[in-house]
This record gives sequence, C-alpha cells and structure tokens, in this order.
Amino acid sequence: MSPKMVTPVEVGSVVEPALRIVWSDGHHSRYGWHALRVHCPCAACKGEWTTRRHVDPASIPSTIRPLRIERVGAYALRPVWSDGHSTGIYPFNYLRGDLCECEECAARRAAPSAP
Amino acid sequence: MSASPPDRVRVLEALRDVQDPELHKSIVDLDMVKEVQIRDGTVQVEALLTIGACPLRDSIVASIEERLRSLPGVREVRVSLGVMTPDQRQALITKLRGGEVSAQRRSSFLTAESATRVIVVASGKGGVGKSTVTVNLAAALRREGRRVGIMDADVYGFSIPRMMGLSGQPTLIDQMIIPLEQDGIRVMSIGFLLPDEGEAVVWRGPMLHKTLTTFIGEVHWGDDLEYLLIDLPPGTGDVSITLAQTLPQSHMVIVTTPQVAAVKVAQRAAKMAEKVNMEVIGIVENMSGFRPAPGADPVYIFGRGGGLRLAELLGVPLLGEIPLDPAIREGSDAGVPIVASAPDTPAGRAFRQVAERLAERVPVPTR
Ligand SMILES: Nc1ncnc2c1ncn2[C@@H]1O[C@H](COP(=O)(O)OP(=O)(O)OP(=O)(O)O)[C@@H](O)[C@H]1O
Ligand SMILES: [Mg+2]
Ligand SMILES: [Zn+2]
Ligand SMILES: [Zn+2]
Repeated sequence: MSPKMVTPVEVGSVVEPALRIVWSDGHHSRYGWHALRVHCPCAACKGEWTTRRHVDPASIPSTIRPLRIERVGAYALRPVWSDGHSTGIYPFNYLRGDLCECEECAARRAAPSAP
Repeated sequence: MSASPPDRVRVLEALRDVQDPELHKSIVDLDMVKEVQIRDGTVQVEALLTIGACPLRDSIVASIEERLRSLPGVREVRVSLGVMTPDQRQALITKLRGGEVSAQRRSSFLTAESATRVIVVASGKGGVGKSTVTVNLAAALRREGRRVGIMDADVYGFSIPRMMGLSGQPTLIDQMIIPLEQDGIRVMSIGFLLPDEGEAVVWRGPMLHKTLTTFIGEVHWGDDLEYLLIDLPPGTGDVSITLAQTLPQSHMVIVTTPQVAAVKVAQRAAKMAEKVNMEVIGIVENMSGFRPAPGADPVYIFGRGGGLRLAELLGVPLLGEIPLDPAIREGSDAGVPIVASAPDTPAGRAFRQVAERLAERVPVPTR
C-alpha cells in the first residue's frame, strides 16, 4: 500500500460511545457519532451542486449510531447508520485531516494560517 | 514375478497428484474420487465431475489412467465418471473458497493479507497500449513460472479475449465462475459472457458495479494465484472507482506514450491512485522508438522522454520502454502475445524486463 496515506491500524467498535481510531503514525482520534453522521461526505448529504457543507445537524437524531462500519478498498470507511443511511464513504485523509476531534487537530484547524 | 497390486491407500495417494485441470487442486482434496475398487491387477475408479458437460473430462480420465498405470502391480485401469449432486457441488465450492462459508464468500484477494498481488494497468488516455502491456506482462510473468491471471475490467471495449486468443464461455459451477485459460494464464472478461461478440453493452451504474465485484468475488481465481493483472478502460472513470472500493490492496502501473504532452493526462491516473491509496509502482512507456530495420537506429516517431518525465514527477521508477513494433500489434491480432511467440526480439525482451522489475517492486511472498 502507498506509504503516503496514514491508515487506521485500529478502529473501535460501534458499541463504544464514540468512534475511536488509532492511526499508523500513532495518532489517536475520536469522533462523536452525531458529528460524524452530520459530516457525511456523500452527494446526498453534502449536495452535489450546492455549496452546503453538511446536513442540518438538527435533522439527525442525537441518538444516531452506526450498526456497523466497513472498510472500503484501501482508503476509506463506510458506516451503515441506524437511520438507514449508508452511502457515505469517509476517506482516511478526510477523517484524519478534517474531522478528528482531538485537541491538537482542532487547534491546527482553528489556526488562521493552517496549511 | 509381478508386484502385488496396490491397496486403496496407495491408490488414493497416487490420485492426490492428479489435479482438476480447471480448479487447480487435487481431485482427492476436492472429494472428486468417489469409488476405488481393486481386484487382482485391475483398479476401478469412479470420479465425480462438477458438471456433466465438463469440457475437460477426457483430460481428467487420461490423467487418472496415466498416474495409476505407473503404480507397480497395476495391469488395468478403468475410470468411470459421475456427476456431483448439488450438495456435493456446494461442499466443493465452500472448500474452494477456503473453508467455512462466510457471509460474504470472500475470494482470497478480498482480504488485505492475501498473498495475491493485484496490479492495475491504467493510463490517462485511451489507445496507449494498456491491454497490450497487460497480456505481455502476464505472458512474461508466466514464463518466469508465476501463476498469473488477467481480469479484463474494460467492460466497454474489451480486447483481452482477442489478444489472448480466447473465446467461448467459462465453466460455471453453480454460481462460481471458472476463468478461461491460455498457456496457464487464467483470464476473465465480459467478452466471455456476452451472447454475441461485438455486441455493445450499455452499462447502468449498479450493473457495472455488480459485474466487476462478481469478477473479483465469484470468479475462482485460485488461492495459488500470485499476480492478478487488471486491464482498465481508458481514463479514470467509474470502473476504477469500483475497483478501488472493492480491492483492499492493489498497485498501479501507468502506461504512457513518449510525448511529453501526454504526461499531464497520464498524471490523472496517478491522482486517482493517490486518492484511493493505491501505490503507483512504476511507469511503462509504450510505442517508444521505432527501428526501421533490425539493428538500425531507432526513430522517435512520437517524441521522447514522456515516460521518464512522468516517472520523475511521480517519484516512481520507469519500468521500461516498449518499442513501437508492428510485430507487437500482429501478435495481439493473432491472439499470441509477442512475449510468448518471440521472447528474444527487442520487443519481447523489453516486456520481460518490465515484468522483472515489476516482480522486484511487488514480490510475491515466499510460501
Ligand atoms: N508497442 C507497440 N507497437 C505497435 N503497436 C502497438 C504497440 N502497443 C500497442 N499497439 C497497438 O496499438 C493499438 C492500441 O493498443 P491497446 O489496445 O493495447 O491500447 P489500450 O490502451 O488498451 O486501448 P484502449 O484505451 O482502447 O483500451 C492496438 O492495435 C495494439 O496492437
Ligand atoms: Mg484496452
Ligand atoms: Zn450521506
Ligand atoms: Zn487528531
């Protein structure tokens, strides 16, 4: 596999309170289920032609959970959600670069000159 | 004095060497040997075929006879053939898929730990020689004793059947598809499944997806397969995406032409590989110099340096330069890759060198 992309070496279980990923570079990530569902990157949620960035958080129940999470090829995860939604393919670099909720990543994204 | 006839254990042991020619496994391991009777020097064997119309039935009978005749004490061999019941067939399919029937019935290279190396042959634009490179690399790897398969993912304009000199329908054992074979190379193409050759297929998205995942999951490539080469349609469209979503590990070889102007288009293939975490293992420059006569200096009809340029841009090796040679096209048109018919010509050698470098970059694990 490409040495360039950071990949998960451990993906937590759907029964845990949040998604837990341990990456090949040792980084630990955490994702709340609700936020993860809100940031679904599929065309239906993001809108193919609009500039909408994600679905309206209020439209997603706070109790949302995935029933299972599948690996897609060598590059992504696909959750099958309890609301039946399953078309969202989350590439590893999206999960790591845009969604990781850890302090370090949140700070990096908040920085004005973030690359 | 003649030797005493072998016992049942000896006979079964000998039959273990006989493989089903399509399934590449011992007929004993596949439970295809139903009855063995030994009376005096006569051995009678009943073998079960997977399907009644098995095209290779004569070859199985001949192999059994030959193997048993070589045993001391055997004067005569009689082989009768039966056909498996649906239950027996299901058990065989389960066995071929590696034991327990799992929910997804995964074929071996659908797991990240698979020993089969999957090589996707891609390009930016069409007509640069992807299919030509695919069949010749397969032939070159085969020459080195590798177990090789070709999956023709160009469902729109498949050319692998013609280039490999193959036609006809694959054997189906219930829902499992047995690839066709040429010179030991296992081949699957949509061309084998269409009722009329040359018929254009109009693909709807889900159908395309299903066909490709079937080629990966339901085709019996064999767990001994070392390299699976996948011939892509031109460009970076839906076929590549489906493959990227289905294969947990794969590598990409990009074919390009010598024009420096082609580099930009070829880079698109690399971009897509990067997106889906597929490693580009090298570049093949095709239709490089043309020699007007053997030994003459090559003429660079299509310019020079495109392959090297792309390799440098991507930071990957240039695996080789394939000359422009009418014999390459003639080989493809006749259904015999030039590596098989003329391995020691400059073109044949160029392909073999690419295969060698490829095998160095992506070695098969020692078993
Ligand atoms: N090195 C070569 N020398 C001479 N002819 C070649 C060479 N490579 C390919 N060809 C010929 O060029 C044509 C196109 O090659 P091929 O079908 O392999 O390209 P492709 O990239 O697979 O095309 P497509 O994008 O349509 O799938 C064929 O007729 C083939 O025989
Ligand atoms: Mg082609
Ligand atoms: Zn979605
Ligand atoms: Zn983080």
